[in-house]
Amino acid sequence: MSLLKLEALSKRFGDCWALKEIDFSINEGEIVGLVGPNGAGKTTLVNLITGRHRPTSGRILFADQEITACKPHEIRRLGISRTFQSSRPFAKMTTLENVVLGRIFSKEFQLFTRQTDIDTAEQLLELVGIAHKARLPASDLTLSEQRRLDLARALANQPRLLLLDEVAAGFSPLAVKQAVELVRRVRQRGVTLCIVDHFLTLSLRVSDRLLALDHGEKVAEGRPQEVMRNRKVIRAYLGTRREEN
Amino acid sequence: MRKTGSGLQIDENFPLTKGALLLGFVFLLLLPVVARYSDYVLQVFTHALLLATLALAWNILGISGSISLGHAAFFGVGAYGSVLLSLELGISPWFTIPLGGLVATGFAVITALFCLRLRGGYFALATLAFVEIPKVITDNWDSLTRGSLGLLGLPGLPTLSLGSYHFDISASPVASYYFVLSYALLLICLVALIFRSNLGLALHAVRQEEAAAEAVGIQVQRYRLLSLLLSAFFTGIGGACYAHLIRYVEPSLVYGLHFSAIPMIFAICGGRFTVLGPPLAALVLYPIDQFIFHPLLPAGHEFLYGAIIILAILFMPSGFWGRLGKGHLVSAKTGSIE
Repeated sequence: MSLLKLEALSKRFGDCWALKEIDFSINEGEIVGLVGPNGAGKTTLVNLITGRHRPTSGRILFADQEITACKPHEIRRLGISRTFQSSRPFAKMTTLENVVLGRIFSKEFQLFTRQTDIDTAEQLLELVGIAHKARLPASDLTLSEQRRLDLARALANQPRLLLLDEVAAGFSPLAVKQAVELVRRVRQRGVTLCIVDHFLTLSLRVSDRLLALDHGEKVAEGRPQEVMRNRKVIRAYLGTRREEN
Repeated sequence: MRKTGSGLQIDENFPLTKGALLLGFVFLLLLPVVARYSDYVLQVFTHALLLATLALAWNILGISGSISLGHAAFFGVGAYGSVLLSLELGISPWFTIPLGGLVATGFAVITALFCLRLRGGYFALATLAFVEIPKVITDNWDSLTRGSLGLLGLPGLPTLSLGSYHFDISASPVASYYFVLSYALLLICLVALIFRSNLGLALHAVRQEEAAAEAVGIQVQRYRLLSLLLSAFFTGIGGACYAHLIRYVEPSLVYGLHFSAIPMIFAICGGRFTVLGPPLAALVLYPIDQFIFHPLLPAGHEFLYGAIIILAILFMPSGFWGRLGKGHLVSAKTGSIE
């Protein structure tokens, strides 16, 4: 069953079509890699799904409900979370507070934080492996720890769909290996994942399917190995050979 | 920095703070006894306390990351709102003071319609311009406000009787002092509550990473609006108290730069994002200005504020209180909020 469905989704910024007529769907329980070179429209797609930008045309359906015109906080409440390309922790709050924030504003307003929310946040920090930094300011974390924090914060409202924007960019091979394990652990919790991945560091290892974009258009979709053999995808990443011109 | 229990806590790494705070509190409480023969000293501290409440109110907006250069608008609207209601309708100032706060909130709604979509310096400049609107209206609506002549002989706050003790709040400097002191303590508690609540947490989040705040489900504009309205409400109450205490209003006075700039200076010097920093700065800096610099330089004593804010921004951008870093109120359950 498809959890997220994009129908002829387009976004124009001024004269530039960032996305053109994208049709795609993500099934419940899947891990989908969203790949493509710089400027392909990957992050724009994430911004459209999460309500940060409004599509120029087309529709977005989440669990058979139209969410095209929903605001970011409504989408968060429906169960779609995201992380950011450059991780954006609340730098002057503690790591724990960051995760608590991910939880308390995705439901009805409470004036004060409850102990149960703090306990859940601590468990999530345990899951992503930075529980020992819970009471340090988020600005004290390393890059990979900040990404983990971003992930814990995104998981805090128990999302059904999680959009990871370049979660492993700039990671060492060891950190990538850990990230792969982490993504699998997240999937085991019943979360459907969409991984934006320019360099395919993660998506080739964990994805069930890939969606390849170039210049705002869908160039390929399917099993990772098939997509990687697709001529259009290779051309988008590497350019064309001289003799082909 | 693990904390247990709940409620407001002062960090234990700074052992002097609790004692120092207590000492300061006792000093404020007993000041009228010490200074009973000098109305001037009492008046200075009464005004310092009033400025402390304005700095507290300014800071409610401040933690959301917005800098207002136009809080005099709310101060003046609150003052005129309360004064005109009590003059025209004969309502007791006890009721018109909170109503003045509501009038100021009303003006904040208008400000928000036009300014809230702006950020940073653009927001600050827009608020600066918005002071002119109520000022020009007040200046020219002669039949109601008597324009730039101002209004004299306003109803003061009525006498409070407690057994055989009578506090004539407007006439006696001691009673005025205690009145403003009570309001200041009340507002400190309220602001501490706001900072510690999830509302405060949301405002901190909006300031630190607006995009991330939006992504975790915070309705950014709604919270920014709420902080502006709360800030305007308490600034308006401050203006109303001021008008009824000195029993005189005039546009150039209540809409003056003084009431826009000074609370901001105290908030920034004392430590934006802290509860006690802004009122503390008011209670230290204003008396220093009045007792030391005013006699030395009657015309230009306010240069002190210019110098202090430059020094503060250069050397302690998080303010005196923030610089001590350990004297702040911390969230008991989740570690520290700045």
